[in-house]
Amino acid sequence: MGKVVFDVQYQTTLAFLISYYFYFTGLSAGSFMISTLSYGFGMEKFKPASKMGVVAAVLLLLLAPQFLLMQVGWPIKSIWNHFVYFNPLSAMSYGAFLLMLYPMNSVVYGIFMFQGNLKMTKIFGLIGIPLALAVHGYTGWILALGVARDYWNTGLMPIVFLFSAMVSGISMMILMIMVRDRFFTKEKTINHELIDSLAKLLGWLLVVDLFLVFCDYSVLLYSKLEAQEVAHFMLFGKMSFWFVIVENLIGKVIPMIIVMIPGMRKSYFWLILAALMNMAGILAMRIVTVYGGQALPLM
Amino acid sequence: MSNPHKSKNSDLPRYGMLIDLDRCVGCHTCEIACKIENDVPLGIWRSWVKEIEKGKYPDVVRSFRPTLCNHCENPICVKVCPVNAAWQREDGIVMLDPHLCVGCRYCMSACPYEVRYIHPTKGMIDKCDFCSTRVDAGLKPSCVEACPSSARIFGDLNDAKSEVAKLVATKAVSTLKPEIGTGPRVYYIGLDPATMEIKREAKLVWEK
Ligand code: SF4
Ligand code: SF4
Ligand code: SF4
Repeated sequence: MGKVVFDVQYQTTLAFLISYYFYFTGLSAGSFMISTLSYGFGMEKFKPASKMGVVAAVLLLLLAPQFLLMQVGWPIKSIWNHFVYFNPLSAMSYGAFLLMLYPMNSVVYGIFMFQGNLKMTKIFGLIGIPLALAVHGYTGWILALGVARDYWNTGLMPIVFLFSAMVSGISMMILMIMVRDRFFTKEKTINHELIDSLAKLLGWLLVVDLFLVFCDYSVLLYSKLEAQEVAHFMLFGKMSFWFVIVENLIGKVIPMIIVMIPGMRKSYFWLILAALMNMAGILAMRIVTVYGGQALPLM
Repeated sequence: MSNPHKSKNSDLPRYGMLIDLDRCVGCHTCEIACKIENDVPLGIWRSWVKEIEKGKYPDVVRSFRPTLCNHCENPICVKVCPVNAAWQREDGIVMLDPHLCVGCRYCMSACPYEVRYIHPTKGMIDKCDFCSTRVDAGLKPSCVEACPSSARIFGDLNDAKSEVAKLVATKAVSTLKPEIGTGPRVYYIGLDPATMEIKREAKLVWEK
């Protein structure tokens, strides 16, 4: 109706650096979960992935907060103030504690694992699971509790974040295990059984992830105007290339088809392709959610 | 582990503003007065006048929506700030503590009215504070003082005899996005819904 003559443009706040931060915490949480499957839950077939999983989880979680610190205006002050002026109502407040506790626990868990102390490994692995869920789930809550934006303000957000963390973590583990087995072991052969189990797990998690996206969008499209507009923006507007093509088609649907078809799953070429596409798609998902979710002007 | 801004005393006024759009002529004086008073850098605004045009020549009308922080009763910016840098005075003015703010920008993305901005040199958030230093000195906010048509009325909403409280009580007033539950304390008379239209497209950061 009205043509805007003068308005002030909102400075897009949380953009790419935060997307990378979310992406790397997601990869870390995902690889941690894989590492606990055998030691924590006794799923023996995943045992060869455990050590690599915990090392990756720790390294990625040292990397991830660097993006966060680059984003905030006062990085050193922010670490100090987060501990001293804690606000229990803010989801972000808990981040500083989680970002300390989770890697510390992972290091202890890793040390016991490398020492072969099964009992302690199990204990710290089980402690680590809620921490890993929290360290990534809280990033979803940060967005969900920023009530201004309908794309974020949904109870599905933390769950969507957890599932995308797990799928991207598994894809990364598949690639890393292939490289390790092929080049850094004595036998120089890939542990086929392990890769196959991980790929199957990836397939089912992708099904759930896509179902969550469907739930989210079906509600957005029937919800109030602002929600409808942002759904249109994602599905048909300027964001559609990133959301529909990169995030969902390349990042989720095609990898899911590849790992669901036994013939393709067993071919390393297709599996590597699927894992790479999925990792790229989840990175796109972070950018679409964080940046795309706030790109539309609110008023 | 503490909130340095908690206090008990509550026998204070509750400040608010009413903007009468039947009087507003869209001159943008309030915008400029605010910029001068608060030394707001180029490219950002604490308060601005959104202006839209409706219809086709010769039947054209313009509508205005002066915009500023709503000093909400239940401010989401205060709730989400991880370090208690966004805080609310007992008299309702929503403030920013520059000693605490770390520039994480969470409050910016959570405010439904997009009135917070990043100060380019301070690296932290800044926004309208109802010219709190002027209010403390017994003066009106700078935009109110500067408005040539007295469209902006500022005062104590708790004081039934104040002009703003009387108008809010007797006129058909509206606030921006009441459904969010933030309880804005900037009221409008004659607000045109077309000034609040939601857009379907945006300019993306990687677009020229
Ligand atoms: S308008 Fe925004 S910045 Fe102002 S008090 Fe309300 S939520 Fe906070
Ligand atoms: S930018 Fe400053 S005021 Fe806003 S949430 Fe972060 S610390 Fe609080
Ligand atoms: S100074 Fe007064 S009349 Fe001019 S735009 Fe602002 S509110 Fe409207």
